[in-house]
Amino acid sequence: MTAAGEPVLSLQNVTKRYGRVTALDGVSFELPAGCIVALLGPNGAGKTTTFKCTLGITEFQGDITVAGKSVKRHGRSVRESTGYLPQSPAFLGDDTCAEVLRFLADLRHVPASRIDEHLDRVNLLEQRDVPSDQLSGGMRQRLALAAALLSDPPLLLLDEPTASLDSESRRQFHELLVQLRSEGKTIVLSTHFVEHMAELADRVIILQAGKVVLDRPVSELWSTAGRRFNVYLNGTAPRAFLDALRSVGISEENVTPGDPGFEAAIARALSETSGEEGER
Amino acid sequence: MNAVWTIAEKEVRDAVRSRWLLTYGAAFAVLALGLSYLGERNLGSLGFENFSRTTASLINLCLLLAPLIALSLGAGSIAGEKERGNLTYLLAQPLERWELLLGKFAGLFLSISIATIAGFGVAGLVIAFYATSLDVTTYLLLVGLVLSLVAAMTGLGMIASVVSTSRVQALGIALMVWFIAVLFFDLILIGLVSSASLEGRTLLFGVLLNPVEIVRVLAIINLEPDLEVLGPFGTYLLEEFGTGTATAILVSALAVWIVAPVAAATWLFNDRRF
Repeated sequence: MTAAGEPVLSLQNVTKRYGRVTALDGVSFELPAGCIVALLGPNGAGKTTTFKCTLGITEFQGDITVAGKSVKRHGRSVRESTGYLPQSPAFLGDDTCAEVLRFLADLRHVPASRIDEHLDRVNLLEQRDVPSDQLSGGMRQRLALAAALLSDPPLLLLDEPTASLDSESRRQFHELLVQLRSEGKTIVLSTHFVEHMAELADRVIILQAGKVVLDRPVSELWSTAGRRFNVYLNGTAPRAFLDALRSVGISEENVTPGDPGFEAAIARALSETSGEEGER
Repeated sequence: MNAVWTIAEKEVRDAVRSRWLLTYGAAFAVLALGLSYLGERNLGSLGFENFSRTTASLINLCLLLAPLIALSLGAGSIAGEKERGNLTYLLAQPLERWELLLGKFAGLFLSISIATIAGFGVAGLVIAFYATSLDVTTYLLLVGLVLSLVAAMTGLGMIASVVSTSRVQALGIALMVWFIAVLFFDLILIGLVSSASLEGRTLLFGVLLNPVEIVRVLAIINLEPDLEVLGPFGTYLLEEFGTGTATAILVSALAVWIVAPVAAATWLFNDRRF
C-alpha cells in the first residue's frame, strides 16, 4: 500500500542502453493511485523497455519505485505489487485456466481457494477447465488480466493489451479497466493506438526514441491540440451507414469529437442502418 | 525456496503430460528389458556374474541415453521459454532469476529421474526373476550413479540454454557436448593410451574432465572391484590410491560436476539480463 499522496509509480531519470542503442534516455514521470495512463509511441520507442525496467527484469540507470519500494533493492516485492499483462500472453503449456492461475497464485502466495473468484471477475468461470491454448484472443487477455490481478497489486502494466482484439472484446476489456481504475488501481497502458487514449486514459505519456516528448492529462491535450478525430471502421462499412453518417453531417473532413451531437449522430446513423450486413 | 518448488512442480507436470517423458521412459524400459532378458538367457548360468554383466550392459545403455535426454531437455529449458515469449512473463512474477533456473533444473532432474528409475525398475524385476542372487545395493548404487550423471548433464544443457538465443542453437550445442562427452572423449583417451602411453596420473586427470567417464569408472569399481577391466589405468588407480580413495576422488569430482554446471548456468542467467 502506498502512503497518502505517495506516487504508485515513480521513474526518475531512467536510462537503459542495449549495447550502443539507447532504449530509454532519462525518462522521468510519477503516477498517482487510481488513474489510467496511456504510454504511447511507435514500435521501438521504449514502451516495453519501460515495463521491463519497472519490473526489474532488466538493469537500468536511474531510480524506479513502486508503492514506495525501489525496484533495484526490492525487486521481488515490487513484482508482487505489480500486475503485468504481456502483449501476447503465451501461457505455459496446455494448462487449463484454473491451472494457469493456480501456478501463478502459488508464485504470488495467493490461496488457491480464490482462483474461482478471480476467474469470475473476468467472466471466465465457465472456462475454468478449458485449456488456455483453446481460448479466443479476448479470453486469453482476460485470463492474463485475472493473473495480473491475483495479488491485488496497486499497479498494472498492460503491454498492448487490446491490439489483437475485435471491437466487442476490446469494449469488454475497457470496461474492466475502468472498473479497476475506480477501485484505485494505477494502470499503465502501452499502446500505439491513439483511440485507446481517447477512450480510456486520464493522462498520456508519449515516448519517442526513448525520450518522453509529451506528458499531459488527456483533457488538457484535447483543449490544446485541437479537436480532430479519426474514426476507424473495422472491415467494410455498409454503404448505407456511410450515407447515413453524411446525412447527419459527419464526413471525413468535419467529424467533431467532444461535440455533444457527435455521439448522438453516430447512434442515429447506426440505428438507421441496423440490419445491414457488414462490420462496424 | 517455495518458488523453486512451484517451478519444479510445474516442470514435472508438463513433462508427465508431454510425450517426451513417456517416450523416453518406454524406450529405456524396452531396451533395459531386452538387455536384461537376453543377457540372462544367453549366459546360461545364473548368479552374481550374470547380474553384474547385465548391469554393465545397462550402464552402457544409460551412459548413451541419459546424457542425451538430460542435455537436450536442459538445453530446451530457458531457450524454449525465450522462444515462446514466456520468459519475460515468468520473470515478471515475484521470484528471482536463480529460483526460476533452479526450479527448472530440479523439475527436469526429477522428471528424467522418474523415467530412468522406471526403466531400471523394469530391468531390475527381470534380473530378480532370473538371477539366483541379486545384489540390490550394487544395483541401487548404479541407479544413483546414473542419476548423478543426469544432474550433471542437465546442468550442462542449461548452460547451453542460457547462452543461446534460440532453442535450435541450444540443442546444437547440447548435441555437440553429448557427442564429445559420450563418444569422442572415449576415443581420444583410448587413442592417447595406445599411442602416447600416458601415465596413470594424466589419464586420471583426463577421466575427471568428463562426468561420463567418471560414472563409467565408478560403475566398474562398483561391479569389478579388482579393476582388471580397466587395464593399466585400473592397476594405477589401485596401486596409487586403493579402491576407497579412488572412489572418493571420483565421487568428489562427480559432485563438482553436479554442482558446477548448474551454478555456472545460474551465474550466466543472472548476468545476462536482457
